[in-house]
Amino acid sequence: MNVCSIEWVVCLLVLSAFFFCLPSPCLRQGLLAVCNLAFVATLVPDVRAWIALSGFLISGYLVAKMLQAHSRRWVLVTYLAVLVSAFVILKQYAFAVALLPASLFHRVVAVVGLSYMLFRQIQLVVDAYQGQIENLTVWNYLNYQLNLFGLVAGPIQRYQQFLESWARLEPILAGPEPILRAYSRVFIGVLKISVVAAACLAVFDHCHDALTATEPLTRSKSITMFLGLFYFYPAYIYFNFSGYCDMVIGGASLFGLKMPENFDRPFFARNMIDYWTRWHRTLGFWIRDYVFTPMYMAIASRWPQKAASLAFLCYFVALFLTGIWHGSTWNFVMFGLLNGLGVAAAKLWENHLIKKSGRQGLRKYLDSPRIRRVAVAANFHYVCLTILFFPVGMAKTLQIIKRVVTQMI
Amino acid sequence: MVELIRNEVQQVFRDVFGDPQLVLRDDMTANDVEGWDSLQHLNLVIAMEKRLGIKFATAEISRLKEDGQNIGTLLEMVKRKRG
Repeated sequence: MNVCSIEWVVCLLVLSAFFFCLPSPCLRQGLLAVCNLAFVATLVPDVRAWIALSGFLISGYLVAKMLQAHSRRWVLVTYLAVLVSAFVILKQYAFAVALLPASLFHRVVAVVGLSYMLFRQIQLVVDAYQGQIENLTVWNYLNYQLNLFGLVAGPIQRYQQFLESWARLEPILAGPEPILRAYSRVFIGVLKISVVAAACLAVFDHCHDALTATEPLTRSKSITMFLGLFYFYPAYIYFNFSGYCDMVIGGASLFGLKMPENFDRPFFARNMIDYWTRWHRTLGFWIRDYVFTPMYMAIASRWPQKAASLAFLCYFVALFLTGIWHGSTWNFVMFGLLNGLGVAAAKLWENHLIKKSGRQGLRKYLDSPRIRRVAVAANFHYVCLTILFFPVGMAKTLQIIKRVVTQMI
Repeated sequence: MVELIRNEVQQVFRDVFGDPQLVLRDDMTANDVEGWDSLQHLNLVIAMEKRLGIKFATAEISRLKEDGQNIGTLLEMVKRKRG
């Protein structure tokens, strides 16, 4: 079942109307658990996928329990290595397919939402190892991992955050106005996806088809089509994904579940570091906490003198990994590289300003409205450039760029 | 004990931010300390771990930067860890 479908919206409206008429949190949990399972059942294609999903979920729970009882580093490291390797094979990453024996990829299964479950699983086992997880039961864990409001595409929520509202499952919207706002948010999400994003995608498709067709285009037509491609795909992703988030965050709040926000006006970011705290925020924060932080702390503890310069490497690696997580083909490697370069450059520029004019100078720079406008515009275009590599394969994207550049010069 | 922890944490702040005059107040947040960005936050955590002989979990490091957290909550956390 698709989140932006009549069935999903009708189920949401009907269930939310009487959900809090159920007298106890246990009954409400039970109803949501049935909904979670029914939703998963629409996404798992066959028995093999069920087996793979069960293995993934059971292993996560058992390892987290084990790490809670005995905080053994080798258990954590081994499990994470197995988990990430299995993920790379299941997603059939291009570099893995090129390097590993083909037999490994013959009978892989597809499970929708696996990428997001992986994030939650890693967070859970790391936090369990570090003694940060309480009330870990099979019931809570399965509902956390299979929560229909975050299953398909996030937001990525911490187990601890989920438990805060799941344990009580009481109304979190005080009065008719917040309830109306939540329903409106779901409705706005539907409009964003089915009208605005669909229109942006139609424009993108038109431009893409024109640029990849064999018929010759005039110079101005080529440039116009390229600009359509350049601006409308980022707009499509934004409206589609933020619309989805509006639907699930607004929908979850009607059932007493508080989900984290995922967008904060990302196209108004002044640099790529700022951008990743505004776009797909829960992914950005996850990468910061579970990739960047441990990597930087390990380096800075061992080589404190070199920490400042090695920080760029950490920024680059973290965002590069974020990029390639998005997809398994070479164009996502390019997307990752551009994002990695963007954040490393933003940090380098900040350090340069501090060196040149001190912290006071940096503050003055950050406070200047004119500089802010220029920075926002420049960053927006850089973001569009990174997303240029998102929709179609590497060869096709390069072919389009080559065609436009050749005509321009 | 509380004052001892406060003085030790304050010394760590002074070393990390290079400001020997820095005085910590419970209501201070990252916005009140010049240069307290994400990277300095980690440098601060590393310095506190070394000097105070404690260990912060990933979730705790992240929580310390969230809205509503301040020096008071940091000192509380350090106090709990010191037993």
